[in-house]
Amino acid sequence: MTAAAPAPGWSRLDRPGIAAWLLLGPCLLYLAAFAIYPLFYSLRLSFTDLSAASGTGRWVGLKNYHDLMFDPLFWTAAGNSAVMVTVSVALQIVLGTALAMFFNLHLRGSWIVRGILVLPMLITPIVVGVMWRALLNPDWGLVNWLIAGVGLEPPNWLGSIEMAMKTLILVDTWQWTPFVFIIVFARLQALPQDVFEAAQVDGAGRLVIFRHITLPLLMPAILFAAVFRAVDAFRSFDLIYGLSYGGPARSTTTLSFFSFQNGFQFQNYGYAAAVAYTMLLVLIVGTTVLLRYAPLRPGHAR
Amino acid sequence: MTRVLGRIAAYLVLVALGVVGIAPFLYLLVLSFKRRIEILTQVPPALTFDWATIERTYVEVLFRQGMLGFVGNSVIVVGAATVLALVIGTPAAYAFSRIRFRGDESLASSILSMRFMPPIAVAIPLFLMVKAIGLQDTYLGLILPYTAFALPLVVWIMIGFFDEIPREIDDAALVDGCTRVGVLLRVILPIARPGLVTAALFGAIFIWNEFLVALYVIDSRSHQTISLGAATLVSAQRPIDWNIAAAVGVVTVIPILIFSLLVQRYIVRGLTAGAVK
Repeated sequence: MTAAAPAPGWSRLDRPGIAAWLLLGPCLLYLAAFAIYPLFYSLRLSFTDLSAASGTGRWVGLKNYHDLMFDPLFWTAAGNSAVMVTVSVALQIVLGTALAMFFNLHLRGSWIVRGILVLPMLITPIVVGVMWRALLNPDWGLVNWLIAGVGLEPPNWLGSIEMAMKTLILVDTWQWTPFVFIIVFARLQALPQDVFEAAQVDGAGRLVIFRHITLPLLMPAILFAAVFRAVDAFRSFDLIYGLSYGGPARSTTTLSFFSFQNGFQFQNYGYAAAVAYTMLLVLIVGTTVLLRYAPLRPGHAR
Repeated sequence: MTRVLGRIAAYLVLVALGVVGIAPFLYLLVLSFKRRIEILTQVPPALTFDWATIERTYVEVLFRQGMLGFVGNSVIVVGAATVLALVIGTPAAYAFSRIRFRGDESLASSILSMRFMPPIAVAIPLFLMVKAIGLQDTYLGLILPYTAFALPLVVWIMIGFFDEIPREIDDAALVDGCTRVGVLLRVILPIARPGLVTAALFGAIFIWNEFLVALYVIDSRSHQTISLGAATLVSAQRPIDWNIAAAVGVVTVIPILIFSLLVQRYIVRGLTAGAVK
């Protein structure tokens, strides 16, 4: 293309003001009505005592938030969320990066396995939960049969308080490690090959190449995947609904599930909104910090 | 020799990964072919099947439990919401990709960040809103919020695709006397067709699996979507017939299986929306 230099005058020619608002208007109005307004509604709700029982929606100021701070169940849920997000994201990042390196061998037929690995993350989380409840069933599940088959004592996956959170993380990892893998693998394929060749010529070992060349080059993709996974694990609710319903004894009740229980089961809308808003605050602070390191916005080709 | 052994080991790992990925689905399929009592007594389930049992289970699930109707409801709701999100989102993505104005970057970022919104934070207000406009327990009551869920994803994916189309194409058409909207409709959209497909598929999957808002908005069984229907049939708080539960799972998975074959080519684009360059 001969016109490689940017054409500075083009936008003024086009009167961008009107055109932009014509194109953007519907989208902005729609999101204002069905995303921004509900968020403010939710905020207002969190300052009221609205529930199915009382139903008045009286303004109670910060009472819900105050109650939250002294609600041990809230802190249990917050702790569970923290454990689930950190452990499952860490696991998935390590495994997903390892998978990307493994598939970089380009074994024959590996595209079939790649296709298979895409499947779990597209499946309805509730069904993933049910599927794993069957696999891990203490009486007749396939997994325990296999474990007993090699002479080991199968754990009580979903029945014990100590084990349930680990099981939830395990299932989440089964479903979402491929996400990290796909993103890191895509980045790996796009890397220039000459760097690796040069390093090999210089006699660098494989481990050295991975540690000092591959890993730093993959870092943006890894961080990107980590942010996505952290947010989604934090929001995750359906998987828990299908797998453990927050139990046993609240050991898998995360903040999402805690808010759901208050809102849907107990119909304390005000309190549930306060929980959700606390989550939102954590999310905003968390992503703002993370986004400083992982750029999410597709860059403009300027 | 060690090279050969390494090769064999690598292939064993590959097969193991494939098995870990696919075995849970096959197990679910096998369970759905068994009688209730067989699931409890045959461990592991024998791979012998009898047609009458399979037919009975699936007739029960598809017709008596209404899964076929749930699939239909989901197709209507997801289809309408996806189309609406494309119609609203594509022009906006085009504007973000092409037109510079004050605050465009931060406006785009805030739209994109809505993809991260926890559904739990908006489910109750959306439900109360839908109820207030009298759309509780209707398709439209789901289509309206679902469009908003798919919209950030559509905008995000389409910006990536538009950014890849050289601006010179727009400029040439503008010089020829086309309007901005005309350029988008007649010149750019035909080029960006793969982008539209990607955006539609991922928008659709995103809301196909949605369940929380449906739980609030939909009351009658006949209006349940597939994920809500599956959830009520197999929810974790009550004992379940495992052959039925497995068949429900299989019926839920099949449409997604078809989806996933369609998205294979676009999977990286859809997941990252061009953000990793």
